[in-house]
Parts: sequence; structure tokens; C-alpha cells
Amino acid sequence: MRKVLRITVLLALSLVLVVAFTGCAKKEAKKLTVWIPGRDSYIGPDEQKKAQEEWYISKAFKRFEKANPGVTVELVVEPDAAAAHQTFKAAAVAGTAPDVANLWSGQYTFGIKDAVRPIDDIVPKNDLANLVGWETMRDDFKADGKLYGYAGYTVTLCFFFYNKTLVKKAGLDFEANPPRTTQDFDAALEKIKKTGVVPIVTDESFPWLNLYVAVYWWYQMSGPDRILSDCLGKTKFADDAGLLAMLDYYHALWQKGYVNRDAATSSDYWAKFLQGKAALTPQVTLVMSDAIAALGADNVGILAPPEIDAKAPFATDRAVGGTGGALVVSKNSKNPDLAVKLISFLSSKAETMELLKTQAFVPIRKDISAADMGYKPGSVQDKMYSFKDKYIYFVDNILTPGVVDEYYKLCPLVLVGKMTPKKFAESLDAKAAEMKK
Amino acid sequence: MSPMIARARNTRRRTRQRQAILSILPVVLVLLAIRAYPIVFAAAKSVTNWNGLYTSDYVGFANYARLLKGEVFWTLVRNNFVLLLNVPIQVFLGLVVAVLLHERVWGWRFFRSLYYVPQIISAVIIGYLFRTLFSMDGPINIVLARIGLMPEALEWLGNTATALGVIVFCLVWSSVGWQAIVFMGGLSAIPESVFEAARIDGAGFWRRTFQVAVPMIVRVVEYAVMLSVVWTFTGLFPFIFSLTRGGPGYETTTLDYMIYLRSFVSGVNLGEACAIAMLLLLIILALTVVEMKATNSMDDWSE
Amino acid sequence: MSRMDGRSGAGKLAIFIVQTLIALTFLYPLFFMMQNSLKTRPAYYTNPFNLPVAPLQFANFSAMVSQFKILLLFRNTLIVCLGTLALLILLGILSSYAFAKLRFRWSQPVYLAIVITLFIPAQVTMIPMYVQFARIGLVNSFGGVVLAYLAQFIPEVVMLMTANFRSIPNEIIEASEIDGANYWDVVRHVILPTGRAAIFLTVIFYFIVMWNDLFIPMVLLQKMDMRTVMVALASLIARYTGDPPYQFAGLLLSAIPAIAVYVVFQQYIIKGLTAGAIK
Repeated sequence: MRKVLRITVLLALSLVLVVAFTGCAKKEAKKLTVWIPGRDSYIGPDEQKKAQEEWYISKAFKRFEKANPGVTVELVVEPDAAAAHQTFKAAAVAGTAPDVANLWSGQYTFGIKDAVRPIDDIVPKNDLANLVGWETMRDDFKADGKLYGYAGYTVTLCFFFYNKTLVKKAGLDFEANPPRTTQDFDAALEKIKKTGVVPIVTDESFPWLNLYVAVYWWYQMSGPDRILSDCLGKTKFADDAGLLAMLDYYHALWQKGYVNRDAATSSDYWAKFLQGKAALTPQVTLVMSDAIAALGADNVGILAPPEIDAKAPFATDRAVGGTGGALVVSKNSKNPDLAVKLISFLSSKAETMELLKTQAFVPIRKDISAADMGYKPGSVQDKMYSFKDKYIYFVDNILTPGVVDEYYKLCPLVLVGKMTPKKFAESLDAKAAEMKK
Repeated sequence: MSPMIARARNTRRRTRQRQAILSILPVVLVLLAIRAYPIVFAAAKSVTNWNGLYTSDYVGFANYARLLKGEVFWTLVRNNFVLLLNVPIQVFLGLVVAVLLHERVWGWRFFRSLYYVPQIISAVIIGYLFRTLFSMDGPINIVLARIGLMPEALEWLGNTATALGVIVFCLVWSSVGWQAIVFMGGLSAIPESVFEAARIDGAGFWRRTFQVAVPMIVRVVEYAVMLSVVWTFTGLFPFIFSLTRGGPGYETTTLDYMIYLRSFVSGVNLGEACAIAMLLLLIILALTVVEMKATNSMDDWSE
Repeated sequence: MSRMDGRSGAGKLAIFIVQTLIALTFLYPLFFMMQNSLKTRPAYYTNPFNLPVAPLQFANFSAMVSQFKILLLFRNTLIVCLGTLALLILLGILSSYAFAKLRFRWSQPVYLAIVITLFIPAQVTMIPMYVQFARIGLVNSFGGVVLAYLAQFIPEVVMLMTANFRSIPNEIIEASEIDGANYWDVVRHVILPTGRAAIFLTVIFYFIVMWNDLFIPMVLLQKMDMRTVMVALASLIARYTGDPPYQFAGLLLSAIPAIAVYVVFQQYIIKGLTAGAIK
């Protein structure tokens, strides 16, 4: 009996010791912790195949440490960028949020703004002049809103990737004669369909076609302010003519057979495109290199969405895109000035050019040209680069939380006709009303 | 009864009580410290509009009212209950496999090693493979067309009934190995003589399995059923995510997937996520009580 | 010698064929990962279902070991798994013995209360658990993860062991007590041998579950040199791009310890009552 008691006490003691010992936190002066996703970020596509010390970002941090003696920078790789917003929140509540975190801009940043330190007072003025994307980091997108951080390191752009051979087979040339109206687009798709190939292939369970192409039509008719006010319940989605027109055309594309039948649940749309079985697919420029590797650099082209209305009030001749990423400083940070200094360092021209050696992307600096990047004139990268300032910001970063979830979930149903545009708009209105309280 | 024996019996009982309490004390302490706090926390937050950070205003039962009045919640409940189908199928097949392996069918050593493999593979990979298997141009449709059973390809994941069916199939496929190993453990406690006697009596395989083996391992079967039911309500997230993303629409979204959506994706009304979790807890609790009454587990405690 | 003598030859063959077909489906995912881990990334995306073509990318595997430092990740995951298993087994045995055999007041409600903690999904407890752990300094510590896993799995372990221990005949225990056995003797000489199936089941099941777990270590272990293997592998796939061949190489290497544990310990579940029981 006493033996049992003794052992229980020993167990309890050892548990306490384990807790106490492992809980020792060492405090260092001037240490910055930085969270970065493992891919589609400062860490390049093939860098995880190299030792961590070899990564661009590790070397960049070393350069920063050298230029700022007494400072150490610790890199933490985010396993999942979406989940990172929540772990950031948990850490903020516990007081252990990192100094700098690479997350997503727009509404995603606004959702964590209570944990983020605004940087209006410490951001260098010449960064404000030389970099783009600031409006996506200002509170509620207002020009005078608090600035919550830098926009992420690249401008992502979205296009229809298309297979030049298949398009040529249909007697079309999207470089010389791209379809600029929806009627021309329909005609082109009809020609492609007649050659026996799937015109557009997509997987709407992550709504590629909608979020990366179709929203352009909504945006160009209704404008970002209307979209935002719909979300806030001040106006109704059901009365938003731009939205309804976009959804009608979106569904019509599928209805007429221009989009793969199983678009709502497809698991192999990308493989089909890379195998040359489909002519077009909505994509982000980040995967350009894979498309080129599979189809050949001369065979891959990009096509901006046609205009739903030539006299669209809010945008013409644009693609969907923008600075989807964000670099924020947490309120926990003991060295916010140093944190901003680090972000500014990473955004400098020298560091950006260094980063461009490990991955190709459209930088957020205004003072880097296509020639600087080594893009051949007439190449698909060059064309992509020409849209650097010609984009409308990702609508899913504009849609408010709650509404954006509903949007993601339900738009594939509209594509394949399982839900009418009107019902879709009404669901969004219901959600907006719910979120208003 | 002599007073001496009565005293001895009392001492033994008190000793046993003390031993028992000390035996369970560490477990109770750990759970109180680490599980009870989050549960109480979740319950408390479920009546607020907590956003994961510093906003947390009391809203009464607004979250609950909104959930229970909306259509989506009931779709989720329906989905979870339909997916419960996977439990009897899993258990049945697990029992069959366990008895087969226990009786050492030809190649049993080899098969025994293989049945558990699906449990070792990430659920995300399994979900992706099933999604591909049942895709419009996937192998299942191809085979069905070739043997003439289905001339026109079916979009399995595009219709509610077939999508849920595919998910059930996937869950059963992944879990048969676990059921089998649990039942094999249970069967190992049954003396071989019992099976011998049954065989001598001419009992066939099905009778040996269901009328001889099962009654002897009832508590183990009950454990397997209870755990599988709880898992169907709390552990399906990675499968749903990779198989269907909960789609089309909300047609294959389950309660725990919804909690993920509400807490991880937009993460603004975590109070609502907590409310869903509380409702989930109530449902599972109700099912467990029903199950315990049905199998008379309560008897165990009144020996 | 098969216990199934008396079955027809055709029946045996049919069972064998059905089981082989099923076993092939179980092996397919491993085969899928294997063939794709030897492809380049564009080759994988172009067709995930055909066999790889030369040159085979064995570099994915070597990079996993030398650059991704997968052995370090294994070490971290092992520390967590073995630490938790030790506590799960110790605490599980003692408390299940109490619930199964030692009658005491409140045993049923306490048991039910323990079981109820199973019913809350992890996502909901994440933030409060993180905050709580951070306050006592248990974030970025292996001890913290061990405690978190202990709290998560002990109810299931208790359920399993209690169910298993119940079937131990009371006579054996009473007999040993009459022979002068105390609490620890009973545990060591009666419970352990006859309940070994449950114990080894616990080892197999929970080792593999913890080895493959993503959620808890993702939240609690963020330092680069403390990451567990699944968390590190998750960072290889992002929303838009990913490196599946590289990840598959890592997943395959990670499957080896898990399969090894299963293969080694499964035989102990089957061995049965004969070894070690008190007469």
C-alpha cells in the first residue's frame, strides 16, 4: 500500500519535473522569429531538396545578421499557409506570436488585425513609393486605413493557360487574334469543341474557373466597392447585376459543352491539360514552369479573359491577380522596428534580384523590368510580365469571412446547373446578413 | 458469517478502494488538467461571438439558434448519420477477417501483415486515390462500361447518394485492418477447445463466427463499435477533405469538417465552431448512452 | 497446421484468391507512392498513374536523408511516440485494472466521464490548449506534445484495456491473492500476461497514429529542429504548387518504421493465453 503511494508520488513528481524542465525558455536579446510557408514563398520550388543553410532565405537572413550585429533571425517553416492564420491567432493570444509572419493579404489579414501591429509609423517612405500592393494591406481597403504590413513578395497572375497546338488545329491563333468579347470567345470554344477536344478543363471543387477568371466579369461590371458593400449587407447580391450576369455566362459555358462535364468533381484536370487533351485551363502563373516542362515552351500560351461588356465601367483589359501574400508584424514583437527593417531588407532591389535567381515570378518592385528578369521578348513569361500592373485584385481576398466560405462551397453547383444564380446570390445575402450582427 | 471473516472482508474492500482510487488518480488528473479545460472553454465560447482573438461578447444562444434553424446543419447531421453505415460494415468484415486469420487460412501469415497497411498510409493519399478511382474517366467507370453494366459514365462524386457511398467504401477499406486486429486480440483470449468443440459439432464458418466467437468477445466488439461511431463523428476530416472537399456544395460535409471550415478557413466566428462542437458532443453522448443500454454494459458495473 | 481442416479445397482456394485481390488493393497506395517518387515533378503532374521513365529520380530519396534531414525528424517523432506510449501503457494498465476488477464507488460515472472527453474534435480544443500550454512553457517542448497525446488517447486506451481485462476470470485473481499476492504482484503476474493482447494492440495502434499525426505537433512543435516527420512533409505541398514526388519519397521512408512496428508486434497479440498465465 505504501509502495503504491510512493510510486504515485514519484510519478507525479517526475511529471512536474518534465513540465518544469522542458518549459525553460531562453530569452535572447534582439531575436526575430519569422514564419514562412514551405513553398510559393521566399522558399523556392526546389529549395527543400537542399539543406536549410543553402536556401536563399537562410542566406538572406545571414546577410541581415551581418549588417545588424547582435541580431539573430530564426526561420520557422509553416506546414500549411491556411492553417497558419489560426496558429498565428493562438500564438498571439498566448503572447508567443512570431515577429514576422508571411500570411495572406486582404480579408485574411483583416481577420487577424487585432494581433497585428500597424506599421504606418515605421514603414520607410521609399518602400511606399517603390513597392506595390499597399492597398491590399490597408484596413478595409481604404486609402487612409491603417497599414497592416507589406504585401507579399510577388504579384500572382491568373490566366487561361492554353495549348497552342490544339488551338491552331481549330484554326485559331490566340496571339494574333485573341477573343476579346464573350461572343468571340464562344465562337472560338465552339471551333475547339468541334475538333473533338475538351475546350476548357477545370476542377471547381476549388473554384479555379470562377475565382481566377469569372470573377473578373463580376468585378468589371460591379466594381470592388459594390462587392464589398454586398458582403457587408448594405446592398444585396441578389440585386447585383454584374454578379448575376457573370454567373449566367459561367453556367452557359458549361451548358454549351465548353467545360468538362465533371468540372464540379474532377480529379485529373491538370493532368489532362498537361497531356494535351484539353485546350484551355484557368491557372496561376506559379505553375507555368510545370506547364512548359510538359508541353514545351513554344506550346504554352496565356490568354486573358475576354470582356463581358466592352464598355464595362470598372475594368477592361485586365487579368485576375494581385499580391495575395502579406508580411505582417505581430503585436507580440519586442522589436517591431527591427522586424520592419528585416521586411524592408527582403523587399530591397538587391535582395529581390537575388531571390529571382532561385525562382521566377513577378516582383512587387516598380523598378525591375522584364529585361532585368531575363525574359525574352515575345515569350510567354514576357507576356505574363506585361500584366504586372494590369490586374484586378483577387476577389476571394475581398469577400468577407463567412461570405467567402459560402461562395467557395456553392459556386461549383452553379457551374453545373445544380443551383440557380438567383439562389446562389440569395444564399450569399443570407450569409452577409448573418455576419452583420 | 463470523465477525472475523466479515472484518477481513471489509479490510479487503477498503484496501481495494484505496488501490483503485490511486490507480485512476493520474489519469483523472491528466484529463482534468488538459482535456477538461478546453471542453469548458469551448462550452463557454459557444455562447459568444469569439473570433479567435480578443473579441468575445456574450450572445446567448444565438449561435445555436442560427445553426438549428438553418438547413445546412441538418444536412451535416444527415451526412454523419448516413456515413455511420460504415460502422456495421467495418465490424462485420473485420470479424470475418479476424476469424479467418485466427483459423489460419492458407497464407494467413502473409495476409495478416497486409491487412493493416491502409492504417499506415496517410488518409489524404487514400482519399485522393479514391477520388481518382471514382472520377468520371477513372478505372471504376471504365471497368463498368467494359463489362456493360453502365454504358454512360457516372459522376460518382457529383451526386449525393453515390458520393456518400464512395466515402463509406473508402472508410470501410481503410478500417477493416484495424477491426480485424482488435478482434484477433479478443479471439486470442478464447481457449482453442471452444472452437474445436464447435467444429466437432459441425458448426460451419458463419455459425462459428457469429454464434460462438462473437458472444465470447462481446465487450471487445462493443469497444470497436463505440470507437468507430465516435470516429465517424470526429475523425473523418482528412478523408472528406481529400475525397470531396465536402462537396458538391454541402452534400458530403460532416459536422467535424464544418468545424474545420468554421475554425480554420475563415476563422471569424469561432464561437459558432464551438457551438457545433457542443452539439456534436451531445449527439455522440446520446448515441453512446443508447448503445450502452442496448448492450447492457451497465450490468458490468453492478456485479 | 491449419485450423481449418475439414474445409473443401475449392473453398480454400476461393478464400485465398479473394484475400489476395483485397491485399493487392491494400498495397496499391504504396506502389502508387513508389512509382511516383521516382518521377520528376512535371512528369508526375502529367500522369500520376503510369510507371516512371528513366532517369529514375532516386535523388528524391537521398535528398530526403541528406538534405531534408528525415532521420532527425524520425528521432523527434520517436521521442514523442515512445514517451507517450510508455505513459499510456503504464497509466492505462493501472487504471483499467481498477475499472475492470477493483470495485469502488463512483467507478461507473468516472469511467463515463473519461470516455466523454473522447467526443470533442481536436480543432476546437486547439486554441485553448495552445494558450494553456504556452502559459506553462510547454510549447516547443517534447514534454508538451507527450502530455497532449496522453490526454487525447488515454480514454481510448482505458476503454480497450478495461474491455479486455474484464474477461480475465476473477478466480485467477482471487487465487493469487489467497497465495499472498499484493497489488503489484497481481498486476505483474495476472493482468500483464492475460491482458497482453490489449497492451500490444495499444502499442501498435497508437504508435502508428502518433507517428502519422499532423495536427498536434503542427500546433505545439514549431521550431525547425523539433519538428515531427509529418509536419515537415506537409510543408512540401502548398495551395498552388507542390512537390509530390519528393513528399512521396518522404512518406515511403516514414512508412518503414510504422510497418516495422506492426510486423514485429502483431504476433504478440495472437499468441494467446498459454504463455505466462498463472496456473
